[in-house]
Amino acid sequence: MRFKTYSKYWLKTSALTLQSLLATRLSSFLFLAGKFVRFFFFLAFLFVLKDRLGTIAGYSLDQVIIFFLVYNLFDLFGQFFYRGIYWFREEIVSGSFDFTLAKPLNPLFQILTAHTDFLDLPLLLVVIVALGWRLNSVSAPDLVSFAFLSLAAVIIVTAIHIAVAAVGVITTEVDHTIWIFRDLASMGRVPIDIYVESVRAFLTFVVPIALVFTFPAKALLGFLTPVTIAGVLAASVFIWWLSLKFWHYALTQYSSASS
Amino acid sequence: MGKYLKIFQTSLINGFVYRLNFIMWRVRHVIQFLAVYFLWLAIYADNNQLFGYSRAAMLTYVIGTSVLRSFVLSSRSQTVGVEIASGDLNNYLVKPVSYLKNWLARDLSDKLLNLLFMTFELTLVILLLRPPLLPPASSPAAAIFIVAVILAMLLYFLFSFLVSSFAFWYPEHNSWPLRFFIFMILEFLAGGLFPLDIFPPVVYNFFRLLPPAFFLFQPMQIYLGRVDLAGAVGLVAANLVWLVLLYRVSRAVWRKGLKIYGAYGR
Repeated sequence: MRFKTYSKYWLKTSALTLQSLLATRLSSFLFLAGKFVRFFFFLAFLFVLKDRLGTIAGYSLDQVIIFFLVYNLFDLFGQFFYRGIYWFREEIVSGSFDFTLAKPLNPLFQILTAHTDFLDLPLLLVVIVALGWRLNSVSAPDLVSFAFLSLAAVIIVTAIHIAVAAVGVITTEVDHTIWIFRDLASMGRVPIDIYVESVRAFLTFVVPIALVFTFPAKALLGFLTPVTIAGVLAASVFIWWLSLKFWHYALTQYSSASS
Repeated sequence: MGKYLKIFQTSLINGFVYRLNFIMWRVRHVIQFLAVYFLWLAIYADNNQLFGYSRAAMLTYVIGTSVLRSFVLSSRSQTVGVEIASGDLNNYLVKPVSYLKNWLARDLSDKLLNLLFMTFELTLVILLLRPPLLPPASSPAAAIFIVAVILAMLLYFLFSFLVSSFAFWYPEHNSWPLRFFIFMILEFLAGGLFPLDIFPPVVYNFFRLLPPAFFLFQPMQIYLGRVDLAGAVGLVAANLVWLVLLYRVSRAVWRKGLKIYGAYGR
């Protein structure tokens, strides 16, 4: 029953977002083109490297490209479904978050899914097709590992967006927080093994960029043991739990000051 | 001149009012730098010479472009688009100030603020990472490099101002979509992630003549001595040509824009 309600809500808000994107066609086209430019320029850079280099940090350039595709898969997933976080500051500052809280729907769901970004969909499809092409040569156990780690990645990406919303409620600062996460995430465009140990540890245990972007790619390449996979799944559940705790704490700090 | 100095001072003080905002912006800058720096460090892990750059030259290039990015590519002139689209431009049109000079003064204060923070960050980076930094190729190269950087700042200011001016015709989302698209291209063509000469010669020879190449890539070529002194002077001259051209285009676009300006939103 609730699933039906949430599905309806998501479909309705998504339809409205799509309509607004279609109403501003030139803007939508420019955003879309910019996203493709960014993707293909970096891909071109990797191909240039491929021509000159054997390996980077022990990975072949073909493998590095897989890391880049997996990075895009989960980065675009976050942007496609949770673009609403970029509008959240306005709700907090204006006090209209009160209305979100008063509705009989989970406020987190309303905040995160408020602006489904269809402009990320074309590139997301390109990435899925490119990965699908690669998946033909992946063994079944590696595919299962990838599926489990994809689930973990989705949970962690969601948890990070929840944590950013919580920071927003407490400090009214959202934009820079999410952009700092995006900048840190961009370090996952390549395997995190290229970074020095302290940075690697930071990207694994403090801000779990590696768990979201690097580990699923490693699973796809067959580099992970079942123990590591289980560890990442357990960590994702813990991060999810922690983010919800943080969110509930943030709600106790909400003063509804501007309304 | 005095009034623009006042605008400069006010803008500088304003920058310190939103301290958290500014510090977080700088944190982002450091993260972006580290991502590129470690990538190139890994690329050079098993090679000392690649793409015609030694390891030290490439890491100097990466650090140099990051430093340049702080004050060449830092700009507040994106707000010009917002002011045109919102109608706030009216407030300036009735004042005895040049809108372009007003924004140049505000831009320079922003660059100074970024320069201060960048100096602190650079010291930290050098102490922590101990990168193999190369000095300028020669004293004349250093002098020409400084001139090229100043010209690059002005060129970028005019470029950014021009992009914002299109808000007269395209006020949707404060002309942000156009800026997003152009700056996605610029991110690569300025040479911030990699030097442009790693591309095949045909592509490189085209990219190196475009204005974005003069923001980061060409000044660093001069610094590293990858062009001889005559070539460096030639690059400065080419930069000047672009500067004059962009200035003229900016003024023409601005005048045309003002004619159709409807002060919507006021």
